[in-house]
Amino acid sequence: MYRKQVRRRRAVLVLLIVASLVLLSATFSQAGEGPVGSIQRGAATVLSPVEDVASRALKPARDLVNWFRETFNARGENAELKAQVQDLQRRLAQSQSAQGELAQLRPLVRVDRIPPVSEYNPVTARVIARSPTVWYSTVTVDRGSSSGVEVNDPVITGDGLVGRVSATTRSTAQVTLITDHRSAVSARVLPDGPDGVLEPEAGDPSTLLLDFISPDQKIEKGAILVTAGWSNGQISSKFPYGIRIGRVTSATSSPGEAYQRVNVQAFADLRGLDYVQILTGGPPRPGLLK
Amino acid sequence: MIVTWRISLRIAALLLAAVLLELTFFSYASVFGVAPDVVPVVVVALGLLGGAVLGAVCGFAAGLLLDTLLLQTLGVSSLVLLSIGYLAGRYREGFEISSSLTPPLLTGGLALLGAAGLAAIELMLGVDVPVSLLVLREILLKGVWAFLLAIPVYPLVRRALRPALVAGAGGRRTLAQALTPGRARRFRRAGGRRRLARGLTG
Repeated sequence: MYRKQVRRRRAVLVLLIVASLVLLSATFSQAGEGPVGSIQRGAATVLSPVEDVASRALKPARDLVNWFRETFNARGENAELKAQVQDLQRRLAQSQSAQGELAQLRPLVRVDRIPPVSEYNPVTARVIARSPTVWYSTVTVDRGSSSGVEVNDPVITGDGLVGRVSATTRSTAQVTLITDHRSAVSARVLPDGPDGVLEPEAGDPSTLLLDFISPDQKIEKGAILVTAGWSNGQISSKFPYGIRIGRVTSATSSPGEAYQRVNVQAFADLRGLDYVQILTGGPPRPGLLK
Repeated sequence: MIVTWRISLRIAALLLAAVLLELTFFSYASVFGVAPDVVPVVVVALGLLGGAVLGAVCGFAAGLLLDTLLLQTLGVSSLVLLSIGYLAGRYREGFEISSSLTPPLLTGGLALLGAAGLAAIELMLGVDVPVSLLVLREILLKGVWAFLLAIPVYPLVRRALRPALVAGAGGRRTLAQALTPGRARRFRRAGGRRRLARGLTG
């Protein structure tokens, strides 16, 4: 009797391990597509109303946690913000004079860029879940393909760039944040470059690094980054030009290094996301899979 | 543990609640950049109360639900959670839970093991993150979080499954309290006490 029990226990364990490995290899090899991916998306669609209700019910508790976090952070930010206000006032004066020049010069040069955010159709979505591990920086939102959301649509908040849509179901979508290890955003340092690729720092996804900036290019602390939005006619950036991303916190170059180390702080509060806007539709972008 | 349909439903509800709580609340409540995981804590509690088979099945189901809702690679969380559920159950089948500190300590240790297992699987799948201080901190803090969460969660899970518990599952209930009079008579007639004494009721 006891041996039978032990055999049964081992059989269940082996069966479950084999089932996990089969699911793992099936999902991994088909990259979320195929029959397993379809079943997964179908199940996620069915369960999304439950997730939505739970998210709404727990919002007060989340807000309380956020309040503690923000209060704790605000104490350190006060002095930093005062310095930023002074810096911004100086930049505003410079910017106003530059805008006048820009208005005169723009018609003279044909700048080939992806059209700006105004040509997209923004869909407001609520964040209903978030990945709990350090391995993935993803959130789930309550708008999916039935609202016109497609894979690779850019996602923003009022503060700046958040990420892009990486998977959709009928009623939900997975957003890969710019702090995810799979994310890379082509970005431009304002006012006039250089362009680089913004990625999370390997091993520390809360820090963003602007890569491929040569040491001889001067990057000022506090400089603002926007999406570069390039297109060469065959392939395009996933993001339109001009979405605010963040601010340079430090730029250092070491002897012997091919590129500078440019640290960037994102404008959007990526840990306390509640609502986001998904930029759907928009003009066609060559070479971008939808 | 005597698993009836009613108890199965309670276990399913517990797992669903744990997964939803993790995705919609605990993942936002990070300290030192690490969010607590309540799902491994519930899975270990179920393993400690119900044995290896129940722990493994519950771990597999919770992992599958977690990966499905997050639209992530299926099977990763299942593999990790079924392992820690099974190990918790094996502990319960081999040793007596005599101290009230044993479940939280076991939960912390198994959650730490689970976080290390998850890290190993993710690295094997090609996640572009070196084994840095951040990864080690994540693993250690997940263990500490699990220890702290187990202090309230283990008694709550035991309370939710109280009608199914028999003596020796870390609880104070006796067989007579665990079963209704009718079921107790049937259980005795089937030699239940002898089976129970051999630890075969899990």
